[in-house]
Amino acid sequence: MTKDVKMESNSAVKKPKRKKIASLDRRKARAGWFFILPFLIGFVLIYLPMIAESIRLSFHTIDVGGTGSVGYSLTWVGIQNYREALFVDPSFVQKLVTGLQNLAFEIPAILIFSLFMAVMLNQKAAGRGAFRAIFFIPVILSTGIMESIAAQDIMGEYMEGTEDTTGTGESAANQLVSSMDLQMLFSNMKVGTGLVDYVAEAINNIYNIVNRSGVQMLIFLAGLQSISPAIYESCKIDGATAWETFWKITFPMISPMILVNGVYTIIDSFTTDSNVVMAYISDVYMNNRVRSSAMSWMYFLIVAAIVAILASILSAFVFYQRKND
Amino acid sequence: MNAQNLEKKPVIKRESKNKIRVDFDRSPLKDRLKAKIFNFYFLSRIVIWIFRMVLMIGISYIVLFPFLTKIAGSFMAAEDFMDVTVRLIPKHFTLDIYKGIITELGYVEALGNTFLLSFSTAIIQTFICCLIGYGFAKFKFKGRNLLFMLVMITMIVPHQTLQLSMYMEFRYFDLFGIVKLLKGGGIEIFGFNFKDISEGAASFFENLNVLPPEIKWGYFEDAKGIGDYKVRMELTEAGINLCNTYAPLYLLSLCGLAFKNGLYIFLLRQFFRGIPDELEESAYMDGSGTFRTFLQIILPLSVPMMITVFLFSFCWQWTDDFYSGLLLGSSAKGLLVNIIDIPSSLKLDFEAVELYNSAIRNTCGLLIILPLVILYAFCQRFLVQGIEHSGIAN
Repeated sequence: MTKDVKMESNSAVKKPKRKKIASLDRRKARAGWFFILPFLIGFVLIYLPMIAESIRLSFHTIDVGGTGSVGYSLTWVGIQNYREALFVDPSFVQKLVTGLQNLAFEIPAILIFSLFMAVMLNQKAAGRGAFRAIFFIPVILSTGIMESIAAQDIMGEYMEGTEDTTGTGESAANQLVSSMDLQMLFSNMKVGTGLVDYVAEAINNIYNIVNRSGVQMLIFLAGLQSISPAIYESCKIDGATAWETFWKITFPMISPMILVNGVYTIIDSFTTDSNVVMAYISDVYMNNRVRSSAMSWMYFLIVAAIVAILASILSAFVFYQRKND
Repeated sequence: MNAQNLEKKPVIKRESKNKIRVDFDRSPLKDRLKAKIFNFYFLSRIVIWIFRMVLMIGISYIVLFPFLTKIAGSFMAAEDFMDVTVRLIPKHFTLDIYKGIITELGYVEALGNTFLLSFSTAIIQTFICCLIGYGFAKFKFKGRNLLFMLVMITMIVPHQTLQLSMYMEFRYFDLFGIVKLLKGGGIEIFGFNFKDISEGAASFFENLNVLPPEIKWGYFEDAKGIGDYKVRMELTEAGINLCNTYAPLYLLSLCGLAFKNGLYIFLLRQFFRGIPDELEESAYMDGSGTFRTFLQIILPLSVPMMITVFLFSFCWQWTDDFYSGLLLGSSAKGLLVNIIDIPSSLKLDFEAVELYNSAIRNTCGLLIILPLVILYAFCQRFLVQGIEHSGIAN
């Protein structure tokens, strides 16, 4: 008897030792599932039904408060909503095109601006803390309701204007730079008019761009902070100029951040309320709820395709630093 | 310099017993300044510095100017809007607009409600996103990357796309059709209604009288103060109506599905990846479980990052009008975003009334974000600090 027990206890000591390695991994895997459990539950129970419902609704017409107790009734109409949105609705396609044009304009502007500002803010200079604090104000404060207040802010326009005194007229001073000025400036420099117009428009939209590049700046700053100072030091010793250092070191090192920011910017700018298409969809939502969901699914598919294409193009140029070199 | 000094030896004078004076023969001040200022490096640095300062101040001006005009307008009396000579500096300084908003639009009450909602959802979101981000960062399990893709999808699909189904989801809230089953509405599977199966169950519960026709929690109708519970559920055959309570936002927050939570999860995951594994391993060696390690070792380390996420979620919930308008129904009336209106004492009729009303709306906006400005002043140094250490670049 005692021998058996001893044997058992021996094996009991030995066995877990070998088992433990295997089970630690399994235990950690289980712990991982435990940590992401809230998301998993939410995704399966709330989000997935929501998506399924939204897709299902876009193939129906809806009648809220119709047949008594159930609250709303649906009728299957197939792709009628999509067809109406594309061919019957006079302005959806037009808005879609303008929206995509704006997107093509905004994304490079926001990316370049936020990278530039992040590089500026990363340098150790007087007033860095203060400028950082100011530049991140729009991310925190100019969202949601403040955006819609700003949209109907006649007073701000009035105060900005210096020459027109009626108060209701358009504020010509709002335009900081007209592209005429720039064209005169660049006329000798053989720069294409397209580029000049682009720069002029970017400068006139600077408020919008500054407002919406906060998170991107933050992510770029984080990327810049993670570049080892030793690399810069060795560059300096080798006699590289700041310009060369930027293109040869900084730019490749933060190229993953450019990818992340590019994707984030697209998503962010096509989901904001100020977006042309989103605003139109919200308008339609008030009258025809199912058609708005059909529209937004089409819009989503287009933008998802853009994100996928852009991400695949950009990721070919992304430089990943291998850690064990 | 050294060579020069060696050529011209310093003159040593003895001034007193234990004091000597050494005069170096230096080139005159003018020459020295010339050498210092008129070299390329110094000049280019000056130029860059000026350029930088101009740019930074210019952009700061662009950022701050809308707030300045709002502040200026908020102190103006109605006459100032008639006067064309008045622009940014009020001639008749008055606090009427502030008084009107605070006393007539229920500002204080709305402040309390909004604070309660924003604070609680921000706390929930921060904690839940920490959990999820930590799970994705530190544990290897099958399908982790696929699940993370799902997180990204929740970020990519705009909530406007889902607004109708989101409203339906919470207006007729019903997990797995349980409520419907209990109320005898039958169970619905893929659109087919199996009413026969459930009738027994429903009548059974009805006979027992377990479920009242309507469940009410707290005092919804007469809820006035901050402390009052605002939970009310209607149990109908079609499901529970959650759309007059704060419950939809809490549910979304609890699952990491609320506004921009995908971004928070992403940021926190990157942050937790930067924490060395040895730290947790030593904790496991000492016999601490995974959850305890997370609570006692990881969370205290990540306070700056958590403050960043908290700041974002708090402020974005504070100024949010999309979700509160869509999901909160009547209970959104007590929130700050819905106080924007013209106070009746300020309803005037004169030529520049449009401008005046715009100034009042702007002042409402200022009063809405005032608490956020105070919060930001305290938290902004964490904003960069938190993200700085995240090692996000990998």
